[in-house]
Amino acid sequence: MPERHIVSSYDRDLESIQATIMKMGGLVEAAILDAATSLEERDEELAERVRRGDKAIDALEEKVNEETVRLLALRQPSAGDLRTVLTVMKISSNLERIGDYAKNMAKRTGVLVQMQPVDGSSGAIRRMAKTVEAMLKDVLDSYIQRDAELATDVRMRDEEVDQMYNALFREFLTFMMEDPRNITACMHLHFIAKNIERMGDHVTAIAEQVIYLVTGTLPEDSRPKANRGAYINPEVTDG
Amino acid sequence: MYDTPKLESETVTDEVKISARGCQVHYGDNHAIKDVDIDIQDKTVTSFIGPSGCGKSTFLRCLNRMNDTIDICRVQGNITLDGQDIYDPRVDPVQLRARVGMVFQKPNPFPKSIYDNVAYGPKIHGMARNKADLDGIVEKSLRRAAIWDEVKDRLGAPGTGLSGGQQQRLCIARAVATEPEVLLMDEPCSALDPIATAQVEELIDELRQDYSVVIVTHSMQQAARVSQKTAFFHLGNLVEYGDTGQIFTNPADTRTESYITGRIG
Repeated sequence: MPERHIVSSYDRDLESIQATIMKMGGLVEAAILDAATSLEERDEELAERVRRGDKAIDALEEKVNEETVRLLALRQPSAGDLRTVLTVMKISSNLERIGDYAKNMAKRTGVLVQMQPVDGSSGAIRRMAKTVEAMLKDVLDSYIQRDAELATDVRMRDEEVDQMYNALFREFLTFMMEDPRNITACMHLHFIAKNIERMGDHVTAIAEQVIYLVTGTLPEDSRPKANRGAYINPEVTDG
Repeated sequence: MYDTPKLESETVTDEVKISARGCQVHYGDNHAIKDVDIDIQDKTVTSFIGPSGCGKSTFLRCLNRMNDTIDICRVQGNITLDGQDIYDPRVDPVQLRARVGMVFQKPNPFPKSIYDNVAYGPKIHGMARNKADLDGIVEKSLRRAAIWDEVKDRLGAPGTGLSGGQQQRLCIARAVATEPEVLLMDEPCSALDPIATAQVEELIDELRQDYSVVIVTHSMQQAARVSQKTAFFHLGNLVEYGDTGQIFTNPADTRTESYITGRIG
């Protein structure tokens, strides 16, 4: 929307909401990376910072909600403005959920550092987190640039994350069958991987919102999914 | 089991009531309406929106030949009501206006009693055989305009003595008294307070059970609230015409978007 509103305070209100959501996006991106780094480097202090940092994300979500409700009540937005406001509300709640998952990762990291490390898994988790963080960055860019093509691309990339999750799922299953002493750590690691996989789903939901914002309709085709691996039977998995 | 209430956005019928093809209007040298094609549905509220001077009122006035009264105004093209050309020389404009009623921006009751304001149209069109008939029409019309309870005890009082909102509803009663098929409203609420506006809007929604209602409004929110179809006019062109819900969430034309979101177009 290149043109300005005749009432310039309307533009300022909309810009303020967008700035808030971008700030929120920045904090969530950092939380994902920090949570993964704290796990890989067994950095309890960093994990604790991620846990505490979630409050700021929640506060920003609250702020977005207040500002959007106010804008709906006072300005009665329509057409593109209406879609912007609706999209912002949904994106902020998606970001808040991603923040919660990062916090949960950090909590589990706090437990995991007390245990024997499980070989090779934290690197894979960091790569998975890195992928989701890059998707989030791109989807926020697509939002700012009103770029439905980039959003569509992000939406398709979630399949990669699903595949990474499936691979980790099998790996953890193998570790646990090999040595029952691995079970506690692997359960935590599995939840962490699952958290990141869920983050990918929220990023996908944001991408769909961006497509709605730009085109006025949600994408109808179902995106490719690759999480069938989660439903395999351990008894028939030969490791 | 409950019936699902009918959505305000639902239209009852797809039947076309008024159809315009290649409609052009000139005021002297000024080309006010440029080649407008539109099908206005029966039992539906259609709103015309657009910036001042875009031609929406001019086009509305074509629909019951009100522009005939302006000497320098030329109307070309084809406008039909139920398939019949309203600009056919055999059509009597007075009869036409009984079928296509009009309510104006400023309430303009005749300087007569409330009763006579409503009775005037039915009388000149010979719709009542006797006083009892006429009484019945007056009461029915005032009830339809949701003003009966407020005026039933003072039908002899001058119509001009009512409040602005009551005067406007009286004018609506006067317009429906001749049993029109179409009701044209040119900014019917712009001189009314919010309560009177809400009453008129409620009335418009009831009127669409029986009539095709066309409303010109400067209030986008009003268009969004009362109509099922919206037409956006700009510089004499009909830019976009579609379902009100679609126009206000996802307009197809950037000029429509700019106008309804309050941007410089």
